[in-house]
Amino acid sequence: MTERTIVVVSAGLGRPSSTRMLADRLAGATVTELAARGITATVETVELRDVAHEIVNTMLTGFATGALAEVMEKVTRADGLVAVTPIFTTTYSGLFKSFVDVIDKDALVGMPVLLGATGGTARHSLALEYSVRPLLTYLRADVATTSVFAATADWAGETDTVNPLPNRIGRAGRELAEMVAARENAGPADLYGDVPSFDQMFRNL
Amino acid sequence: MQFGIFTVSDVTTDPRTGRTPDDTERVRSILTIAEHADQAGLDVFATGEHHNPPFVASSPTTMLGYLAARTKNIVLSTATTLITTNDPVKIAEDYAMLQVISGGRMDLMMGRGNTGPVYPWFGKDIRQGINLAIENYALLRRLWEEEVVDWQGKFRTPLQGFTATPRPLDGVAPFVWHGSIRSPEIAEQAAYYGDGFFHNNIFWPMSHTKRMVQYYRERFEHYGHGRADQAIVGLGGQFFARKSSQQAKAEFRPYFDNAPVYGHGPSMEDFTAETPLTVGSPQEVIDRYAAMKDAVGHYQRQLFLIDHAGLPLKTVLEQIDILAEDIVPALRKENEATRPADVPSGPPTHAERVVKARQAGATAGGHVAGDDRWTGKTAEDDTEAADRAGAAFGL
Repeated sequence: MTERTIVVVSAGLGRPSSTRMLADRLAGATVTELAARGITATVETVELRDVAHEIVNTMLTGFATGALAEVMEKVTRADGLVAVTPIFTTTYSGLFKSFVDVIDKDALVGMPVLLGATGGTARHSLALEYSVRPLLTYLRADVATTSVFAATADWAGETDTVNPLPNRIGRAGRELAEMVAARENAGPADLYGDVPSFDQMFRNL
Repeated sequence: MQFGIFTVSDVTTDPRTGRTPDDTERVRSILTIAEHADQAGLDVFATGEHHNPPFVASSPTTMLGYLAARTKNIVLSTATTLITTNDPVKIAEDYAMLQVISGGRMDLMMGRGNTGPVYPWFGKDIRQGINLAIENYALLRRLWEEEVVDWQGKFRTPLQGFTATPRPLDGVAPFVWHGSIRSPEIAEQAAYYGDGFFHNNIFWPMSHTKRMVQYYRERFEHYGHGRADQAIVGLGGQFFARKSSQQAKAEFRPYFDNAPVYGHGPSMEDFTAETPLTVGSPQEVIDRYAAMKDAVGHYQRQLFLIDHAGLPLKTVLEQIDILAEDIVPALRKENEATRPADVPSGPPTHAERVVKARQAGATAGGHVAGDDRWTGKTAEDDTEAADRAGAAFGL
């Protein structure tokens, strides 16, 4: 049986957090869809809140340590990523961006990513498209066409009666599952694997 | 094994007193620290090279030339010499001069070691950092090893019939280390030449340093300079020691908490757990650094950063005494006890390099004959001088 690893990164700050709730739902939908394709998926969930201090430390010292180093390793090796952030002041939360800033710039190249966000009202829903998606695109991630925004009212089923939250989650999970099924992460490139020889460096001056 | 200290020459406010030394005081402190290290019996003093405040060590050979006259035994080195922004012709001459003045009691460490803004001050581009390191060093080697050099490259004006003076002491170039924290290309360069490789370790988890050193060792063997475990490796380190662990932690904490590089970031406990910084009793420092060889193999040089973060001179001198009296003898014993006989104890000395060069058939090139056809000439005369230059150098 084929296996895949889905890493879920939630930038929610509260406990319990609606961001984490959405993250879990998106991951659940993806796992279900993968199972339907004969793929067993392992889900590893990271709450950035738990490594918030390490993220700031990394910015100040230039190297990641402890739990954050493990998180980075997990993300880099994932077959698919579910990334969910609360929308603060028109865009992703500072914690979410700080995490993105300290992970290796090549860590997400080609990575299937499903985006989610939470916010007070549906009026913020496009923040996913104009700010979060370009960020991931810049990192050359493979971002699922559907992204899911959940406003407070969505949890009560009140916002979108045409296409309620569970439907949107299901569709997004299906898209990520398709992408993850099609691509297995070969793991990070070996930093020492393609160091040019001295002759090459000299020739290429 | 060599044990020594290296300074980055930061001018930092002492957080306990609120006092900041001025540049003159700091330069004089560094000289005192180096002389004290010599008297205490340490093996190496090394200075960084920085061209921006808050650092003061912009001119290593001036400083090391003075120290060559003031000290007796200690090896004088750089940590690092900027091979990217310095003209290799000037490096060749400056360090040959230092070699002659110090009687061979010197070496130097090459590094790129600059932040972006520094490059343009010297007409260089940081995006060419690795290429500058490769080309400039290749030229530097030739200027030391060959008496008359014709050269053309990408980053500086061509040389025709050029001889760097003075010639290296006994016709043998200084021993060179290459320092790099995260560029395997530099480890590759060091291995290619059979030079030493220095990893300044101090801000990194051991797993990172270990992998880099391992890569250098593999490539050293690949290029036929010896077995991987015989490659010449140096590490950076830092500690603060007092008789008791509690005393050391209490005294050092305000310096740690406010240090320019890691202050206001991770806690001292987190930082010491993740990096080689050790704050504690001499025995704790010994235990930590005796274990380094388990990760990187037997290595030849250990340098400690001890004079940073605003620590007062008196404290730094006390740290040197603790290092020389309590830490180094134990570490030396520990390392020597387990070192295989055919793995070098230290990097090659000047005397050893001279013997080796003579065995290889090299004769000393103490001076190159030549007439000065340039000084005092007018621009018009230069054409004539250039025409004759080939003859003057026997080409």
